[in-house]
Amino acid sequence: MSNIINLLTRAFFMSTPLILGALGEVIAERTGMMVTAVEGIFLIGAWGGFIGAYLSGNLVIGFLVAMICGILVAMLYGVTTVYMNQHQIVMGTAIAILTTGFCTFFYRVIFGVQTTPLKVETLPVIAIPFLSEIPIIGPIVFSQNIVTYLTYLLVPVIFYVLFKTSLGLTLRSCGESPEAADAAGINVRQVRFLAVAVAGCLGGVAGAYYSLCNVGMYTSEIISGRGWIAFGICFLGNWNPVGALTFGIVFGISDAIGVYVKALGLAGLPSELFSALPYFLVIVLTVCRKQLKVPEKLGVNYIKEN
Amino acid sequence: MKNNKTKDFIIWTILAIVLGLFCSFVFLPMLDVNPITAVSIMFKDTFSDTFTIGNIFIKTAPLILTGLAFAFTYKANLYNIGAQGQFYTGCICASAASLALGGKLPGVLVILIAMICSMLGGAMVGFIIGFLKARFNANEFLISMMSTYVITFMMQLLLRTVLQESKHEYLKTDYLDSSTWLPKIIPGTSVSFGIVIAVIAAVGCWFLLYKTSIGYRIRVTGMNQEAARMSGINPKNQYMIAFAISGAIAGLAGLVEVNGMQHMLLTGFDTDIGSYGIGIAILANAHPLGVIPAALLFGFLQVGGTVLGHASDAPASVIDLMQGFVMLFVLMSFFFRRKIELRRLKQQKIAGEEAV
Repeated sequence: MSNIINLLTRAFFMSTPLILGALGEVIAERTGMMVTAVEGIFLIGAWGGFIGAYLSGNLVIGFLVAMICGILVAMLYGVTTVYMNQHQIVMGTAIAILTTGFCTFFYRVIFGVQTTPLKVETLPVIAIPFLSEIPIIGPIVFSQNIVTYLTYLLVPVIFYVLFKTSLGLTLRSCGESPEAADAAGINVRQVRFLAVAVAGCLGGVAGAYYSLCNVGMYTSEIISGRGWIAFGICFLGNWNPVGALTFGIVFGISDAIGVYVKALGLAGLPSELFSALPYFLVIVLTVCRKQLKVPEKLGVNYIKEN
Repeated sequence: MKNNKTKDFIIWTILAIVLGLFCSFVFLPMLDVNPITAVSIMFKDTFSDTFTIGNIFIKTAPLILTGLAFAFTYKANLYNIGAQGQFYTGCICASAASLALGGKLPGVLVILIAMICSMLGGAMVGFIIGFLKARFNANEFLISMMSTYVITFMMQLLLRTVLQESKHEYLKTDYLDSSTWLPKIIPGTSVSFGIVIAVIAAVGCWFLLYKTSIGYRIRVTGMNQEAARMSGINPKNQYMIAFAISGAIAGLAGLVEVNGMQHMLLTGFDTDIGSYGIGIAILANAHPLGVIPAALLFGFLQVGGTVLGHASDAPASVIDLMQGFVMLFVLMSFFFRRKIELRRLKQQKIAGEEAV
């Protein structure tokens, strides 16, 4: 029993960055922008977060630096795709290569060659009084760190903003019918650009979660495709914050199972197959699940005619 | 008019490449490396002996193929960003076939069988992606991206179990029998027949895309899916064909790398060859023949970067920095080129109207 509780606690812990990244992706994709730079944004978030936290000795500053780094990379992506009409998928790959080189290069510039990896204290767990004493649910849900709690709060907030406010309508109209939005006086490009920046901000925090909450250090393999999983979660969750939450937890569980099986170290068990589980799950779910709410102009750049 | 366009394209691309390299070298003083010396080291030392020049061709061969893999689907307006996974599938198939048959059959025959296996393996993965896209309208680039990770873990599993070396020490296979190695074509270097295979593949792709009806159908589907459907081309079939061919090309890259270069299969090698392929295809504007010089450039950057790393304090990450900046600026140059082209067209139109 305690094994299962540990596993689920770990699952919720690991789902946070995926949900955060997917939430940012939901906002951007509702305006028609696929943020394919998400892998790069996660990586630079992890890098910036670690550097900020290590040099200042303060995790909050780390997360702030991660946000800024995420926003900057997202803005680079935004400028080239929204304003320069370059293809979104291709641009994302270019940015992924660039950030990989950039992060490794400047890690070296700042810290030189290190024989042992530098470490920071990870973000402490805050057990919420009373609630954390509830059997089973208490240790799983209410003994997490502050970023996890904030992420769960963010889900209803983003849901409300997207579907119940005029701001949400503005965002969604840019993804459904940019021509109509333009005719209604909305600056489509600006809305899309800002939405990408917001996605960059959330993605930066999500990346920093891996370096500051999970392992307390930075390596160049720290993200290894998890940005793409967040991207997939957004698709699977039907471009809905609640869907992002649900699938985020599903992937958190599969991620935790993979880590758990690997830690068991049973020779007969093909642990690699369990590690591949989240990625395989994206494929299976993408195929099985009907995607109903695809934003009409997703991935199509809006070019205003003169 | 068309010549003008090609000239513009070449000028702008070269400009972008120079700017990209400039941006990456600007940071080198932070590591106490003089950028000007760095440039001269990169050019002088790389071209100083035939062995290092040969290394460029070794690096280029698989890059041409992964570049072609992305370019091929790009023509059908599809995005195969999983060339990495298809490349690994090709590696697995090629090494399995060579290990099983090496020494038992004549080398040439084994290489041919390994080649067919690697292409079939890659084509299989590609076909599955294309099929899921056609049948379930699944998002092809999400699936192809994820397939890479699944295959990478599969490869690790295989390397830990059935394919592992006889010493059972590291996650790698035994060395392939030397009769199954691709023959070296330039004495004094390790350049293998792989580069010839890659160039033939590029020409073949060009022929297939521009001179045959299969290629025509694929390109029409890419340009306008509705128009293709109206004229009796089933776009869904084109998805599967394009993806299968693209996968086969990426799988072939696996053979070139395993039988031509590594002579064994090990974990975690060439982890970015798929994304470099995308960069190369973009640099070449997705033209199969343009892929060759673009891949040569990336090959040069990788060898030059390594040489620079040996000769100075510059880290290997400068290679990614260079490749990233070059890609970024090339993409940006597309925008400026288009803008200038539009302005020129406008002026022509105005001039035309005034003449009337």
